Amino acid sequence: MKNRRHMLTLGTAFALGALGLPALAQQPTYKIGYQLPLTGNTAQYGIDFKNSAEIALDQFAKAGKPFKVEIVFEDSRSDTKEGVAIARKFVDDKAIVGVLGDFTSGVSIASAQIYKEAGMPQLSQTASHPDYTKVSEWQFRNITTQAQEGPLNAEWLYASGYRKVAVIAEQTDWGQTVVSNFVDKFKALGGQVVFSEFFNRGLADFRPIITKIARDKPDAIYTGYFYEDGAQFLKQMKQLSVTIPVHSTSASYNQQLITLAGADAEGMKLTATFLPNNPAKNVQDFVAAWKAKTGQAEPGQFPAQAYDAVNIMLAALERAHPNVTRKSLRDQLAATKNFPGVTGDTTFDADREPAKKLVRAQVKNGAFVAVEK
Amino acid sequence: MDYYLQQLVIGLSLGMVYALVAIGFTLIFGVLNVVNFAHGEIYTIGAFAGLLIFVTFAPPLVVVLLIVLAVGALTGVGLERFAFKPFRRFSDEATLKSRAMREATLMSSLALSIVAREGIELFFGSQFQALPLSHMLNSPIKIGPVTIVDGDLIIFGTSFLMLAGLQFVLKYTSVGLSIRAVSNNPLGARYVGINTDRTIAWTFAVGSGMGAVAGLLVGLYYGAIFPAMGFTPGIKAFVAMVMGGLSSIPGAVICALIIGISEALSSIFVSSVWQDLVAYAFLIITLIFFPRGIFGGARERV
Repeated sequence: MKNRRHMLTLGTAFALGALGLPALAQQPTYKIGYQLPLTGNTAQYGIDFKNSAEIALDQFAKAGKPFKVEIVFEDSRSDTKEGVAIARKFVDDKAIVGVLGDFTSGVSIASAQIYKEAGMPQLSQTASHPDYTKVSEWQFRNITTQAQEGPLNAEWLYASGYRKVAVIAEQTDWGQTVVSNFVDKFKALGGQVVFSEFFNRGLADFRPIITKIARDKPDAIYTGYFYEDGAQFLKQMKQLSVTIPVHSTSASYNQQLITLAGADAEGMKLTATFLPNNPAKNVQDFVAAWKAKTGQAEPGQFPAQAYDAVNIMLAALERAHPNVTRKSLRDQLAATKNFPGVTGDTTFDADREPAKKLVRAQVKNGAFVAVEK
Repeated sequence: MDYYLQQLVIGLSLGMVYALVAIGFTLIFGVLNVVNFAHGEIYTIGAFAGLLIFVTFAPPLVVVLLIVLAVGALTGVGLERFAFKPFRRFSDEATLKSRAMREATLMSSLALSIVAREGIELFFGSQFQALPLSHMLNSPIKIGPVTIVDGDLIIFGTSFLMLAGLQFVLKYTSVGLSIRAVSNNPLGARYVGINTDRTIAWTFAVGSGMGAVAGLLVGLYYGAIFPAMGFTPGIKAFVAMVMGGLSSIPGAVICALIIGISEALSSIFVSSVWQDLVAYAFLIITLIFFPRGIFGGARERV
């Protein structure tokens, strides 16, 4: 009787030991939180980011690194209240060492307050409002802000000979930075802003605005919209036979804009950090992986930004390994130098802003092509 | 002068779009005395159904309109059965007159609308659907100094047909008679032998069919079809209905036109960000100064 009981205990101990041994030899798994809109009316962007993140993770897992990474996706619906709730959840999970996201500047800044208090590094792939990185030393972004894009566009329009410009943008934090950064530089160069107005995101009917713009007879229109509003705007410009040249920001860079607007998108000019026909190997690998995963013809700028953000986070994790804590990860993120991303080389400066180059592009024959300087 | 004329024309076409949605909405409210919050979703379903038909068969527009009308009617009947009928289980007088029942159906239609919208989003994604551009009702027509689109004429024609057809049905057919009876006094209609359940189902079928057609036409007009598209037209239709006096369909149409024109004209003076404010300002003014609506008759207060 006693013997059998001993045998049972020994047997169980062995079994547990056998299970436990591999666990000892296993690699550490680091968890990264990703807050993004997976439902709601900006879900298409969040789902794009998720796809990019999964592509980056796949490539990482195959690269034989000494540790594993797991990303925890949480749906913020681009709603500040949800974003803050998710931030608290991530902060409370001790296994999460870093956070990616959110999509909009508004939600990113709101969540940043939580990350600042708790000390969690946060890297946003698209929050471009200047105030975001000013929240604390824990906030990073790898997208150029309007503070860089606005003046670049102002110079481009001025160099193209336009002196009177109309400016419209969506009524959000981002839209306001689009207008202010462009207008300040354009006026400093000597140009004149004859019309300036904001519209509500999701506006279906731009015709009243277009009619107003046409009345003021500007040389060009500078626009701050995302691709849905952009498609509506361009279609209705054509409808009203208004032929004023349109310039836009990198936020309009999306194949969907051309799909939705068709021939009416022809000739729109914009700045971009990502061009899928860039022959560089990492760009082409990403484009191929994107096509294979999503079946779409090409990734736009935003998915490319997310892809780079995930990879920057992974590279920082690698440098911090094996002493990965939230603080050490933050320090390694800050030390990112000349990271070869698909949206250009990224180096974070002292303010955790990326130093990146923007290219000029336009819509030609149904595709985005680079414009020679 | 051209500028103001163009804005006026744009306002008229905006108003026609709202009127199209308001007709079905007001019909349902007029009969049942409950707001059908799911009308915006029927509108969206109509647009998506039309999109699917275009992408798979590409038949001429009239055929698509008829199919979408049928789809909308069926969806409306289904909606009625799920969200409205269960609350009419008890036909004693107290229940029929109770207010709580009205609020309950309001909530249930709201719940169904959320389910429908999220369902469409799960299935199609929340981005704008790419529409075959050849089907868009968007070819501009220049009339003197102003430009309109062929879509404007089609929407105008359809609204007119709907309105005229509805007035004909209501005044000269027996179905219309029973609809008017039920809307006047549901209990009394039951007492004289009218099958109220069938009548209500018919009302929903007709109203939702129109809502679906409205969704399809507006989707083709703007080329913007996405799951949340029914929200704003639903609200504007509600405002138009309230302004027009709750049960008056011609009143709702006229007020929808007023809203549309005011929105376009308001953009002359203020930034277009305030455009939506116009409709809500009208709502407040109506509620304060015209509690029976502008064209309302001897009905209870809004």
